[in-house]
Amino acid sequence: MDLTFLFFLSSGLFLGWSLGANDASNIFGTAVGTKMLKFRTAAVIASFFVVLGAVYGGAGGSATLNRLGHVNALAGAFMVALAAALSVYWMARLRITVSTSQAIVGAIVGWNLYGGRATDMSVLGQIVSTWVICPVLSGVVAVVLYFLMRKLFRIWHVHLLRQDAYIRRALIVTGALCAYALGANNIANVVGVFADSAPFEPVHFGKLFEWSGQQVLFFLGALAICVGVFTYSHKVMMTVGNNLMKMSPRAALVVVLAQAIVLFIFSSQALNAWLGAHRLPLIPLVPVSSTQSVIGAILGIGLLKGGRGINWNIGGQIVLGWLITPLAALVLCFVGLFFMENVFQQTVLIM
Amino acid sequence: MFHVKLSLFSQTKQLEQKIDAMLDKIIEAAMVFKKASDVFLKEKRSTTYRKLSKEIKTIEHDADGLRREIENRLYTQNLIPDFRGNILELVENLDKVINEFDDVAHKFYIEQPEIDPRYHERFRELVGQVCECAENLAMAARAFFRDLPAVRDYAKKVYWLEHESDKTTAALKEAVFDSDLELAHKLQLESFLSEVADIADLAENCIDQLLIYVIKRDI
Repeated sequence: MDLTFLFFLSSGLFLGWSLGANDASNIFGTAVGTKMLKFRTAAVIASFFVVLGAVYGGAGGSATLNRLGHVNALAGAFMVALAAALSVYWMARLRITVSTSQAIVGAIVGWNLYGGRATDMSVLGQIVSTWVICPVLSGVVAVVLYFLMRKLFRIWHVHLLRQDAYIRRALIVTGALCAYALGANNIANVVGVFADSAPFEPVHFGKLFEWSGQQVLFFLGALAICVGVFTYSHKVMMTVGNNLMKMSPRAALVVVLAQAIVLFIFSSQALNAWLGAHRLPLIPLVPVSSTQSVIGAILGIGLLKGGRGINWNIGGQIVLGWLITPLAALVLCFVGLFFMENVFQQTVLIM
Repeated sequence: MFHVKLSLFSQTKQLEQKIDAMLDKIIEAAMVFKKASDVFLKEKRSTTYRKLSKEIKTIEHDADGLRREIENRLYTQNLIPDFRGNILELVENLDKVINEFDDVAHKFYIEQPEIDPRYHERFRELVGQVCECAENLAMAARAFFRDLPAVRDYAKKVYWLEHESDKTTAALKEAVFDSDLELAHKLQLESFLSEVADIADLAENCIDQLLIYVIKRDI
């Protein structure tokens, strides 16, 4: 196998690791933080479904990111992934949960700037607007769900222990679905840019099934995500699950459900068609950040309870992280591309 | 997978039944205690009283077993992490109420206090109030698990009954000390009255805690 390819792929794998360390906390952070699930159980479920999602649902790619900037050279892709990964890793070390999609957007804009390519401002505007709309919408959805769940449990007189059992299973099922979606939606961000140059041959598993070369690449990316989940996500999970606000298991479930609903709203073409047919304002179909969604939902529930339980210091750090991450990724990518092109003599973009 | 899921739900159901059984024990203890006091007033330490006192001891013993099993299961199965501590505290306090029924019934059996017939009616009234208080505590605790808003209704009854039992105890003590009984006898009766009234006080303390848990669950 071409060693150059493996070298360039390493930045994608690093980004995968960062994604696992950071984004798994959005899925199971509240469940682990409220002690409804053990970390190991959460990590095993997250890893299994991330791999499944990446290998079987990852082929769609992220069209919007491609519209923002189609990174067309291997060395350029390496630097975009590396810049995004470094920014996420840096924030994860500071135990601040950040948005991986923001880091990638920042890095792609950095690539555009370096190459003197115009960034599609309407697409960028759409994406940036979701950085505000997404957490706000998540907060509203979480408040509605919280009320609804409280009402239903009261009407049905569900025993406290039974509620606990239902919530635990719902957290596992929703978490597994979200992990599948995470793998399917983000694998393109992690290793999608290497798809054209990947030298992998199709792999046959007896007569049972076979994976194409691209699926093998996605599997490698998903494994990197799993390593991130197991080695580093625990700390970030505790920030999401406990440090920002002390949560009940019911609130934990509401947060994950709100996240799933909001991610669905921003990716559902059917919903957009329905809105269009009824002359309602359309929702931009862009990859939104699950981190922002989760933080928005937690803050929504916190504000519903009067805002006293929220650790505003950590909340402020997280929001600051959202501003710093894309900027850091942009600057890192720009500087890195300069070195790549002028010091290492690599082609970082094809004009 | 399906089998595992079923068995997990059945474990939850078993624990629900154990908590319900524990609450049943309070009601049982209260009813038997009421009957035993009545028998004591009529027959003193008769065979019937001995049987009833033994019955309360058995209820107390069973409740201890249930408490230990509930505590054990809550921790080993890692259930309701946010309320586990509260539930343990609640179960322990409910057990204290049952223990108190047993202690008082046993004290009657050992000391055989002489209760003058002129105090019988008021004494029955006090026992009735205390037992009703414990029964309402059991219902409030049951509501805590299934029907949160109802806890407040039962709590109101417990507070009212505890207050009434205080009044009855005070009136009885006054009557005892105004009488021409020996001082030692007066003091013995006073101690018995206080012990019976303590059951209602324990129930009230339990309700205070329960209402705090309700607020915690509600927010």
